[in-house]
Amino acid sequence: MVNPIIVILPVLIPAVAGVLGLICHRYQRCQSWIALAGMALSLAVSLKLLVLVRGAGLPLVFQAGGWAAPFGISFAADLLAVFFVTMSQVVLFAGVIYAAGAKDRCVAYPAFYPLFLFLATGLTGAFLTGDVFNLFVFIELLAISSTVLTAVSDDGFGTEAAFKYFFMSQLAAFFMLLSVGAIYVSCGTLNMGHLAQIVPSLGEQGMLPMAAAFLMATFMIKSATFPFHFWQPDFHTAAPTPVSAMLSAVVVKLGVYGFIRMTTLIFVPQGEMIRGLLVVLGIAGIIFGGLAAMGTHNVKRMLAYSTLAQVGFVLVGIGWGTALSLTAALIFAFNHSLAKSAMLMLAGHLASRAPVKSADFSVVAGRGRGLPFTGILFFIGCLGLAGIPPTNGFISKMSVFNAGINAGQFYGLALIGISSVFTLVYTMRAFMRIFWQAPEISGEIRSSGDLRLAPALLVLLVLGLGIFAGPLVDLAGETAARAADNQAYVTAVMGGIK
Amino acid sequence: MEILTAFAIGLTFAAGVYQMLQRNVIRSAIGLMMMSNGISLYLLSTGAWIGEKAAYVGQAPGDPVDPLPQALILTAIVISLGITAFILAVMFIMSKRYKTCDSDALTGLSR
Repeated sequence: MVNPIIVILPVLIPAVAGVLGLICHRYQRCQSWIALAGMALSLAVSLKLLVLVRGAGLPLVFQAGGWAAPFGISFAADLLAVFFVTMSQVVLFAGVIYAAGAKDRCVAYPAFYPLFLFLATGLTGAFLTGDVFNLFVFIELLAISSTVLTAVSDDGFGTEAAFKYFFMSQLAAFFMLLSVGAIYVSCGTLNMGHLAQIVPSLGEQGMLPMAAAFLMATFMIKSATFPFHFWQPDFHTAAPTPVSAMLSAVVVKLGVYGFIRMTTLIFVPQGEMIRGLLVVLGIAGIIFGGLAAMGTHNVKRMLAYSTLAQVGFVLVGIGWGTALSLTAALIFAFNHSLAKSAMLMLAGHLASRAPVKSADFSVVAGRGRGLPFTGILFFIGCLGLAGIPPTNGFISKMSVFNAGINAGQFYGLALIGISSVFTLVYTMRAFMRIFWQAPEISGEIRSSGDLRLAPALLVLLVLGLGIFAGPLVDLAGETAARAADNQAYVTAVMGGIK
Repeated sequence: MEILTAFAIGLTFAAGVYQMLQRNVIRSAIGLMMMSNGISLYLLSTGAWIGEKAAYVGQAPGDPVDPLPQALILTAIVISLGITAFILAVMFIMSKRYKTCDSDALTGLSR
C-alpha cells in the first residue's frame, strides 16, 4: 500500500519551492535553481504517480486532515487528473528552463519565480482536488499569479492586458461561487465523489441546472471557448514569453479538464446538453480562431488565436461523447500543449534577438535567416500545429477524424476538416515571413537571445510522440475508458459510504 | 426574512453590475467589490435559517446552524481582500501611465 501523501506532493512541492524562493528573494540565481529543482522534483513525483495510478487501476485518494470523505477535503488522483497533471508538469518544467535562460528584465523581478511556482501549484491543485470549493480556491490562485506575472511583463501593455483579464477572471470566479452555492443548496455537499452519487437521483429539480450552467460559464471563460475568448489574445500576447507559453499551452486546459469532469462525474444527467453545446462552440471556435490567426500582425497573437482553434478541436472531441472521441480529445490536448509551448518559446527567442524586442511580424520578418537551428525547430513546430506527419499533431488530428467517422458526425467533420487547413496556411506564412523574407526594418540582429534548450526539448517530444505514438495513445484510451466509468472514483473517494 | 435577503442580494448584485459597466475604471473596480459582497450574502443565505445556535465542538444540545457556508464566505472574503489590493495597485500604475481613468482610452493592445 502506497502512502496517499504522494497525491498532494505535486501540489506541495511547487508551493514549498515558491516560499523558499520568496525567502531568498535577494539572490536571483539561487531562486532560479530552487525553481528548477522544485519543478524537476514535482515532475518526477507526478510521473511516479502516473505509474502508480495506472498500475493500481484505482484512484489514489488523500483525505486532508484525516477527515472522511464528505466532511473533509479530498484530493483524488484518478487517471484523468494524473494525465492532466503530467501534461502540465512537463510544460511547466520546460517553462522554468526557458525562464532561467531568458534575457527578459521581468525575470529578474524578485517575485517572478515564486509566482511562477504558485501558478504551478494552482494548476496542479485544480486538477487533483476532489472538492468543488477547493477547486475555486486553486483557480483563484492560478488566476492571480498569472495576472501578476503578466502585469510585470517587459511588454509595455502588460498592465493593460492584466487589467482586462482580471475583470474576466473575477467574473469567472463569481460564476463559480454562484455555482458552489447552488450545488450546496440542492445537494448538501461539495465533494465531487459524493455529488456523483447524489446528482443522478435529483434529476432536474431545484437549482441543479443553474449550478451546471454557472459552472459551464466558469470553465468557458477559463478555457477561452468561442464567445468568451476575447480576453485571450491580448493576455497571451502581452505576457512574458515563459508565462505566455504556460498560459496558452496548459492553463487553458483547465477549462477542458473541467468540462470532462462535469460530463463524466459531476453532472452526468445534464451531460447530453453540455456536450451538444460544446460541439457547436468548439466548431465556431475552430473557424473563428483559424480566420483570426490568418489576419494577425504579431507571431504571439497568431499563436494565441491558434489556441482558440485548437482548444475547439478538444471541445468537439469531448462533445461527440464516445469513448473514442474522448480519447482523441485527450491526445489532442496533450500534443497541443507541447507544440504550442514550443512555438511560443521560439517566437519569444526570435523577439529577444530582434533589434526592437517585439514579436510583431514587421520586426521579426527576415530575422531568422541566419538561424538555421531555430528555423528547423520552428518548422517542426509548425508541422506539429498543422498536423503533418511525422509530428504528434498528425496523430491527434487523425484520432479526432477517426472518432468523428466512428461517431457518424459527418457535417461537423466536414467543417473542422476544412478549417484545419487554416492552420497550415497561417503557420507556413509565419515561417516564410520570418525565415525567408528580407528584413522589413533596419538594425543588426543581436548576437545572443533567450536560451533555446526548452523549445528544443519540447520539439524533440513533438517529434518523438509523433513517431512513437503508441504509449500516449494507449494511455489516453485507458484514461478515457476509466473516466467514462465513474464508479471507481466514487468508491475510492467515499470509501463505500452511501 | 428570506424575501428581504433575496432583495438585498439582487440589489447589491445589480448595482455591482451597473457600476462595473461604467467607463470609469475606478467605478468598475467598485462594482467588482460590490458584486463580491453580493455573492458573499448569497452564500450566507444558502446555510441560513437551518439552525439557531452557533456550531462549535462540544456545544450544548440544540439545533446548530450549518457552519460550512460561513467557512466558504470567510475564504471568499480573504480572497476578495487580495483581489481589491491588486486591482487598486494595477489601477495606480495605469493611471500614471495613461493619465486617464476612462477605460475607452486603454486601447494600446488592440491597435
